[in-house]
Amino acid sequence: MSEKKVYIIPCSGIGKVFGSIGRETTYIVVNELARDKAELECLPLIVKGKKEVIEKLKENKIIAIDGCPLKCSYNNLMEQVGKVDAQFMTTNIVKDNRELKPEPSIMPIGENTKILSRKLAEQVSQKVEELLEKEGEEDK
Amino acid sequence: MKKKVGIIACSGEKLVGGTLSRAAARIVVEKLRPNSTIVLCEPLFAAGGLERHGGQEERNFAKEHPTITIEGCEEECSKIAVEKYSGPAAATIRVDEILKAHPELIPDSREDLGEDGRKLVEIIADEIAKKVDELFVST
Repeated sequence: MSEKKVYIIPCSGIGKVFGSIGRETTYIVVNELARDKAELECLPLIVKGKKEVIEKLKENKIIAIDGCPLKCSYNNLMEQVGKVDAQFMTTNIVKDNRELKPEPSIMPIGENTKILSRKLAEQVSQKVEELLEKEGEEDK
Repeated sequence: MKKKVGIIACSGEKLVGGTLSRAAARIVVEKLRPNSTIVLCEPLFAAGGLERHGGQEERNFAKEHPTITIEGCEEECSKIAVEKYSGPAAATIRVDEILKAHPELIPDSREDLGEDGRKLVEIIADEIAKKVDELFVST
């Protein structure tokens, strides 16, 4: 297994619940499902072009999680770092689970939003494993 | 007609200051001053490729309306973004300063603010609301 980390960058949106799903998903991944393998970084700091952060991201794997079609996380990462190794849209997990309509509340999030976030976190943590395995094979 | 005041919070996920700034911004726009404020999405505002991906509304709003930035840490990402793309921010609320002024209140974590964190959010939100009132009257 690679010693590299996977950085999860959620979009940080606070206008709609889809941003909240991205945020909650990220916390579940870095605190539980892929603890020690994944970390998060602030998108605003990346947008600002903080040098140490950009260099760290270039040397590791990156997953972008976006909450709307403007894809602020993905687009800003491409612009500042020049790569994204995988991307997720929180709207897809909502479409795939139509029985779980997310509550509109952004803070605190509702029960359906929590369930949707965990489902997405399972997909993201699976991708973390895949990226690190691939990296490990390339290092051999 | 009075101009609405834009609220742009740093929103950073990594630090508890980001959580406090985000929560306080939501309270202001949803509960304290719903008729005189609007929340601006920081990453959308600052998005480098925004022009190519469909919108300048956030930046234009901040050019034409007074905007308050809420900073979760010393990096001041929101203030820098507003100044870069729209002009000087009308006011800046620094969460670090409010934390220092209330050492008795210690938030639990970035994921769950806890009771002390929620009290801090109310304090930060009140500070923002006071600033909104000053700006709303003066515009």
